[in-house]
Amino acid sequence: MATMTPEATGVHRSRTWRATAASGVALLVLVTIHMVAHHFVVEEVGGLRDYAQVLEYVSNPVMFVLEILFLVVVTAHAMLGLRSVLFDFGLSVRSKRLVARGLLVLGIATVAYGVTLISVLASRA
Amino acid sequence: MSRPPADDLDDIQAARDARGPVLRKSPGPTAWFDIRKRSTGHWAFSLNRITSLGLVFYLYLHLAVLSMLLGGKDSWNGFLDIATQPLFLGFDVLLIFGLLFHGLNGLRVALVGSGVAPDHQKALFWSFMVFGAILLLGAALHIAGSG
Repeated sequence: MATMTPEATGVHRSRTWRATAASGVALLVLVTIHMVAHHFVVEEVGGLRDYAQVLEYVSNPVMFVLEILFLVVVTAHAMLGLRSVLFDFGLSVRSKRLVARGLLVLGIATVAYGVTLISVLASRA
Repeated sequence: MSRPPADDLDDIQAARDARGPVLRKSPGPTAWFDIRKRSTGHWAFSLNRITSLGLVFYLYLHLAVLSMLLGGKDSWNGFLDIATQPLFLGFDVLLIFGLLFHGLNGLRVALVGSGVAPDHQKALFWSFMVFGAILLLGAALHIAGSG
C-alpha cells in the first residue's frame, strides 16, 4: 500500500484517535455478543425474536447490562467517527467546536433514549 | 545552501505563476469517491468511511425500529412479517458486510497505528478481508437457511 491514510501510518495518534480505536476494539467484542446472542441463536426466520422473546432477553440482568454497555460504546464510537468525517470538510476552529458540542448532545440524547427504551421493555417482562 | 540571486528568485516565482496553482486530489468526502489512480490503502480508507456512515444511519434506523416494541405485541409481530421478507433478509447480509469490513479494517488501522506490524499492513488487510469473507458467507448461508 503505497499511499496510506494518517491513521494507517500511525502518524495521527491524538486522544480522539486513541478513543476511537479503543471503542472500536471494544465494539468488536460487544457486537459479536449482540449478534450471536440476539440473532444467531434464534430459530425464527431471519433470527428475529418475537415480542415475548425480546422481553425475556432484555429482562436477563446480564444481557441488560451488556446491551446498555453496547449502546454506550457504539454511540461513543459513532459520534467520534462522525466527528472525523465532518472535520474532513475543512471546518474552521469555531465550526469544529460547534460540531463537537452538537455531537456530544446527540450522543447523550441517543444513549438516554436507548436506555429508556431497554428499561421500559425490561420492566414489562 | 546559498540563497539564489534576487533575479533568479523572480524567475522561479514567474515560472511557478505560469504553471498555475498546485493541483492536488481534493481533501474530504469528495476524494472518497475519486477512484482515479488509487491504491489499496485509499480504497480501504474510502470504504471504511462509507461503511461508517451506513452504520451510523443503521444505528438510528435500528433504534426507530425497536421503538415499535413500545407499541406492544401486535405492533412488533406485524413488523416481523415485513422484516422476514427476502428483500429485507438481503439487507441483513449487506449490514453484516458493513459490520465485518468496518470492524476488521478498523482493527487493522488500530493495530498498525499502535505500532503492530506496520510493515505488513497489506498482508494484514488481505488476511482480515479473507477472514471477513468467510464469516460473511457463513452468515449469509445462515440467514438464507432461516428464510
